[in-house]
Amino acid sequence: MPINESVRNQLQSALQVRTSGEAARWLQEALKEAERGPLERLLALYTEASMRLGRLPLAASGGESFAAAPEGLALDRWTLEDAARATFLLARADHVDFEAFEDVARACYEQGDAREQQSWLRAVVLLPAPDRFLALVIDACRTNILPVFEAVACENPYPSRFFPERNFNQLVMKALFTGVRLDRIVGLAARANIELARMATDFAAERRAAGRPVPADIGLALSSAAA
Amino acid sequence: MKMIDPHVHMTSRTTDDYTAMAAAGISALVEPAFWLGQPRTTVGSFIDYFNSLVGWERFRASQFGIRHFCTIGLNPKEANNPKLAGEVIDLLPRFLAKDGVVAVGELGFDDQTEDEARWFTRQLEIAREFNLPVLVHTPHRDKKQGTIRTIELLRSLKYPEERVLIDHNNEETLPIVLNTGCWAGHSIYPNTKMDEHRMAALVKKYGVDRMIVNSAADWGISDPLKVPKTTDAMRSLGIPEEAIHEVVWNNPVAFFSQSGRFDVADLAEPPAVDRSLSYESNSVLRGERR
Repeated sequence: MPINESVRNQLQSALQVRTSGEAARWLQEALKEAERGPLERLLALYTEASMRLGRLPLAASGGESFAAAPEGLALDRWTLEDAARATFLLARADHVDFEAFEDVARACYEQGDAREQQSWLRAVVLLPAPDRFLALVIDACRTNILPVFEAVACENPYPSRFFPERNFNQLVMKALFTGVRLDRIVGLAARANIELARMATDFAAERRAAGRPVPADIGLALSSAAA
Repeated sequence: MKMIDPHVHMTSRTTDDYTAMAAAGISALVEPAFWLGQPRTTVGSFIDYFNSLVGWERFRASQFGIRHFCTIGLNPKEANNPKLAGEVIDLLPRFLAKDGVVAVGELGFDDQTEDEARWFTRQLEIAREFNLPVLVHTPHRDKKQGTIRTIELLRSLKYPEERVLIDHNNEETLPIVLNTGCWAGHSIYPNTKMDEHRMAALVKKYGVDRMIVNSAADWGISDPLKVPKTTDAMRSLGIPEEAIHEVVWNNPVAFFSQSGRFDVADLAEPPAVDRSLSYESNSVLRGERR
C-alpha cells in the first residue's frame, strides 16, 4: 500500500509538528501499543485521542499541503484526533492479518461515540481493502447526527469511489434534504446520473408544491441529464 | 372537540406533553413502533422496546386519561441490517398477538433498497396471517417514487387496500394515494413534511374521505399538539365541524377498528384516572405518591 504508507507518514509528521510535551509522548507510546496491543487497549486509545490531543486542526496555520492524500480527501480539514485515530488503525493494519484488522476496525467504529465515528469515517478510504467496509459506511449514512453524515458525504472520496448508484443517489438526496452543500460531495459530477436527476427534479417539484424554497445548488444533482 | 393522534412516538415525550395533549382534547393515540434515532445493534433492544409499547407506555398514557394503542413492526431503516432484521421478524408474532396492537407497522420504504422491499413483503404476509391492517411509512427522500413503489408492491400481493394507511403524504403524493383504496395519513411537523395550514388546504381541496392527520411527534423537532392545531387551522379555513370530526376522529377510528381491537364504545369514556396507580411499583406521577 505505497499510497497509504505515504499518507500515514504525512499524518505522523503533521502530528509531530502539532504536538509537544506530554501529548507528544503519549502519542509516541500510543502508536506502539496500537500496533500490537490488545483490542481493549486500542479501543481505549482510540477514545483517548480527543482528550490527549484535542480537536485543533491538523493543518498548521499557513498550512502545509497534504500531497499524498487521495484526491478529494481534505486532510487539511481534519483535527488532531482524526489524524491520530487514522494512524492507530493504519499502524495496526501493518502488524496483523486482514481478518484480525477488520474486527478491530469495526469495533472502533461500532463502539465509538459520534466524534470517534466521524474520525473513522473520514479515514475509511485509507484503510486496507476499503470496499470491505461498504455496508458499514452505507449504514452510517442513515444517521440523524448531521456531523456523522457529513463525515461520509463531504470532503470524502469514499462514496463516489465505492457506493453503488442507488446509495450514492440517496446520499446526495439526503444532503439536499439536510442543507449540506452539494459542492462538498467529492466526485458528484462524475457520478451524476439520470436517476439522480429524476429524483432531484421530483424533489424540486415537491418543495414548490409545499411552498418551500428549492435549494440553490440543486443544479449540481441535475447536471447528468445531458449524459 | 375529541381527537385521536393516530401516529405519535410517546416514548420520546414527557409527561408535560401528555398533560397538554389531554387538555387539548386528545383522548386516544396510536404509537407506531419505529427506530430510536440511531440503529439498534441487538435483538434484545427490540424486545425491550416492544414490551415498553404494550406495557409501560400504555400505563403512562392512562395516567393522563389517554388511551394508548400501538403498532408493532420492523421499520424500514433497520430493515437494512440483514443480521437483525430476520431476528426481529421472528419476534413479531409474539407481539402482534397482544391486546392494544392495532396494526403492523411502521413498515415500508426508506432508502428503497431490496432488503426493505423484502421485509415489507414479509410483514404484509404476517399482517394477513394476523388479520391486522398495516401502517406504511413513506420515505423522506424520493417520496413520490417511494409511494408509487409502495402501491405497486401492495397490488402485486393483492393486499386489501382499505386495510392500508399510507403515511407522511404531501401535495405530490396525496392524489396518488387517494386514487387507490388506501387511507392517506399526514404528519404535521413544525419544519418538514407538512404544516397545519397546508393540511387544511388539502382537506378543503380533496374532502375528508380517508384523510387522516397525526403529529408523528418523536425525538426530533416536532409538536405533539399538531392534531389540535390542524383542527384550528381547518376551522379558520371554514371547514365545517362535522368534516373536522371525520378527519380527527371518525377516520382513524374506522381505520384501526379493522383490527378488531379498537373498541369504539370503550373509547367513549376515558380510562379511569387513578393517580395513585403505579406500574410494577414505579409511579410515573411521583408527586402523587402517598
